[in-house]
Amino acid sequence: MEQKDDIYYIEKVKAGQTNYFSYIVERYQDIVFSIAMKVLKNREDAEEMAQESFIKAYKSLHTFKGTAKFSTWLYRITYNNCISEVRKRKMHFASTDDVQIADEAEEMNLDGIPEENRAQAIKAAMDKLPEDEYTLILLYYFEEQSIEEISKVTKLSESNTKVKLFRARKKLYTILNELMKDELYTIL
Amino acid sequence: MNELEDIKLKAFLQNMELEKPGSGFTVQVMNKIFAENSALEQIKSEKILGKGFWIISILFVALLAAIFVVSNTGIQADSQIGQLLPEAGQGLSEGYESFFSKLGTLPLSIAGITIGVSVLIFIDKIISSNSKVFA
Repeated sequence: MEQKDDIYYIEKVKAGQTNYFSYIVERYQDIVFSIAMKVLKNREDAEEMAQESFIKAYKSLHTFKGTAKFSTWLYRITYNNCISEVRKRKMHFASTDDVQIADEAEEMNLDGIPEENRAQAIKAAMDKLPEDEYTLILLYYFEEQSIEEISKVTKLSESNTKVKLFRARKKLYTILNELMKDELYTIL
Repeated sequence: MNELEDIKLKAFLQNMELEKPGSGFTVQVMNKIFAENSALEQIKSEKILGKGFWIISILFVALLAAIFVVSNTGIQADSQIGQLLPEAGQGLSEGYESFFSKLGTLPLSIAGITIGVSVLIFIDKIISSNSKVFA
């Protein structure tokens, strides 16, 4: 089936054709679930939180004016939901510098990672990032959201988003470096 | 960090497999949405003023009307009854007088309480139905 724009489905839902919301759920379920999973660290809770985020989005759809991207709006709902849940449960929302940033991180050559291990290595490194930095990297590189859009999702200022994103990227490189070293040791 | 590395990182990350929810995720979300929709429709279609409210109101109006008729036209009714049944009419008239003198302002107090209760029930119904709609 031909992929339609988000606005097409949103207009249909707004016009009373609720069924069309399923296309939106299909399209964004993985990323919404990934954010929830990263924050809540439990499949069942993450699934419930992701469902809740979609239901909340559906209920507030009439407030979506289309001035920003629908995905930005949806991620903001998801991110806020997850943070509220973490606060409610008094869980730790990792945004601290648990990983030391190494100087050589900037010089890392990504091509040095064997092709067959790349997806696995990236996923392992992403899993080690704190929740907020994971979200920043995911939105910027995976979802190709702009700094402005990310700042709307995370409620950080644009300059703060830039700084945090830069640090997150360096941290990701540091983790990747360490992972590659470990892998090298196991091979040797 | 140079731009080329940034592009490479983007390419790397875009190949990354995201976490996936269970297979019936979309169905579950849609079922919840449909359930919420039907609950909302039910609340909207529910009458704010239920049967109970109207029964209480009608009884109250009937009570007020009865009090009004008895207190204002009681003498006229007495005279008509008196013409037909002089002794019985006198007895009835005395009965009315003694009954209402014993009651005093009690009917008005009851009426006041009934009005108050009806108004409170009415306000509560409106508030609770609105809060369900906006929840």
